[in-house]
Amino acid sequence: MVSAARYWDAYKEVWRLNVLTLMEYKANFFIWLLFTLVYHGVALAAIWVILTKFPSLNGWQRTDVFFLYALWMVGHTLNNSLFFMVGDVPDAVREGRFDRMLVRPLDSLFQIMAQPGQNFPDDFFVSIIVFGIAAALVHLQWTPLVALLVVMTILSAAVIDGAVQLVVATLSFWVIRLDALRWVVMSLENDFTRFPLSMYNRAVRIILGYVFPFAFMNYFPATVLLHKTADAAQFNPALGWMAPLVAAIWAAGSLTFWRIGLNRYQGTGS
Amino acid sequence: MIIRAEHLTKQFKSLRRKDGVVGTLANLFSREYDLKDAVKDVSFELEAGELVGYIGPNGAGKSTTIKMLTGILVPSAGSCTVDGVVPWLDRKGNARQIGVVFGQRTQLYWDLPLIESFRLLRAIYGIPHDRYEQNLKAFTDLLDLDEFIRTPVRQLSLGQRMRGDFAAAMLHEPKVVFLDEPTIGLDVVAKEAIREFIARTNRTRGTTYVLTTHDLNDVEKLCDRIIIIDHGSKLYDGSIDAIKERYGGKRVLTADLTVACADIEVRLPGTTVVSREGHRITIEFDRSRVRADELIVELSRTCELKDVTIAEPELEAIIRQIYQSGLEPLTAGATT
Ligand SMILES: Nc1ncnc2c1ncn2[C@@H]1O[C@H](COP(=O)(O)OP(=O)(O)OP(=O)(O)O)[C@@H](O)[C@H]1O
Ligand SMILES: [Mg+2]
Repeated sequence: MVSAARYWDAYKEVWRLNVLTLMEYKANFFIWLLFTLVYHGVALAAIWVILTKFPSLNGWQRTDVFFLYALWMVGHTLNNSLFFMVGDVPDAVREGRFDRMLVRPLDSLFQIMAQPGQNFPDDFFVSIIVFGIAAALVHLQWTPLVALLVVMTILSAAVIDGAVQLVVATLSFWVIRLDALRWVVMSLENDFTRFPLSMYNRAVRIILGYVFPFAFMNYFPATVLLHKTADAAQFNPALGWMAPLVAAIWAAGSLTFWRIGLNRYQGTGS
Repeated sequence: MIIRAEHLTKQFKSLRRKDGVVGTLANLFSREYDLKDAVKDVSFELEAGELVGYIGPNGAGKSTTIKMLTGILVPSAGSCTVDGVVPWLDRKGNARQIGVVFGQRTQLYWDLPLIESFRLLRAIYGIPHDRYEQNLKAFTDLLDLDEFIRTPVRQLSLGQRMRGDFAAAMLHEPKVVFLDEPTIGLDVVAKEAIREFIARTNRTRGTTYVLTTHDLNDVEKLCDRIIIIDHGSKLYDGSIDAIKERYGGKRVLTADLTVACADIEVRLPGTTVVSREGHRITIEFDRSRVRADELIVELSRTCELKDVTIAEPELEAIIRQIYQSGLEPLTAGATT
């Protein structure tokens, strides 16, 4: 298809410009890289400290929890590399930059995501390394089935993450400022995915399982990968394989919601 | 005909906001809206190759009209087509054939050299390489982009940036280009360069232009036809000459006298003394009621004239008057 080729062309061009910008702002890039390392380092250290007090949480060892975090991180950072700029929608709408994307012959959502000079996949590479270490620590057996589940989970996780961001971002067509909601959803994702879902109360389980389905990014698949049969008593183990389905539903739902929002778009006064 | 707007109407709906903590909470649940008619029942048609000035005071609804024609906004009522395409129903199809320059807002990438924005646009519009090179060369020559095409956009002066924006809007050879205040903030020289570019491309490429501006010199130099809107409604649609003819019947005569003119009176119908300063007297007269030579003869009966100038009415003065007091007979001669 001609238009698919055009999207691909444009995307390549955007990445060329990402690299160019990176060259121009080398210092900035290294500061971000450092920030990425420190941020995840601190998160891991916090997990470690908590687990020195409680060496085991509901039958999850330190290394298991580390694996849980690493699995989430790969999907989340893949989302960052692909869909990070979805979070720019509210600002683009408020500052009137969004108008421009509506008068170009490519999908406006694609253009939002593919803004040059914004994305560096640095934290994705960092998290692949971290995940490799975590997999070794839990002695993950790389059978084809396990590899399939891991890859599917990571891809689905990125989509789920992106779709939730898109729903939040789309609300900006109705409400101009919603930084608060964004923060709530973000911390829900960042903080509550760090530990096994089975240790939280019912409300958190329902929210992460069925409202904002972040548990499909790491917890459900991890129960299968790590054979957590004790947790499987509380959750159906089939859920571990459901991430692609959840991702597909969320992708379709969020895109529909986006289209509805787009037709309500009023722009700004000047 | 390339653009047809029929009863185009846009009503903005905004949530009525209450102040204070309680008000903010109430806002979350409020379903009370303020409605604002930004554009009301505006219709017009444009032929391919026309260069039309779309003018009106602040808040008249110019940008809103342009946003509907470009597919950014969905009208509340009425409809329009741009070369057969309904803009908001087929945004991408419309985008291929139009170009847009918003003077207040650049489409260039801030951190990157100008040329990189062009290359990205080439990919976005899928412009064939040879056409791209041709157009780039043509616009580089016309707009003198050479000296700063490799400079990051954030380091460009406003005038340079605007030249870059024009090239960016036209690389894909749009049939229609919408300009929303393209000369805002530019100095005389930069304005002239932009005007020259618009006139040139209109002539040689047949590009249709819709030009919104507050600088009536832009309009006077470029457009044969103007559409005036105010409070969302169309007031006038026709040639500049016709509006001058009909609403600019007044001329201004300025005379330098050999004596102080404090007590000089002019007793002719259709004349008003606008000012008397020292030896200079300024008189406004209605061309249809009194001729210039009659006025000069009348003046020279009471004093000696050293110098006389007669000024044509400025478009600006006419438009100002229309903004201020409206334009009574809406229909006669209003449409072309
Ligand atoms: N997004 C919006 N939400 C609410 N009201 C709006 C919005 N955009 C424009 N308006 C209102 O609609 C009216 C027309 O605005 P518009 O921007 O079309 O005017 P304009 O003729 O372009 O004015 P200017 O010369 O100042 O640019 C104004 O009263 C403005 O306040
Ligand atoms: Mg405007």
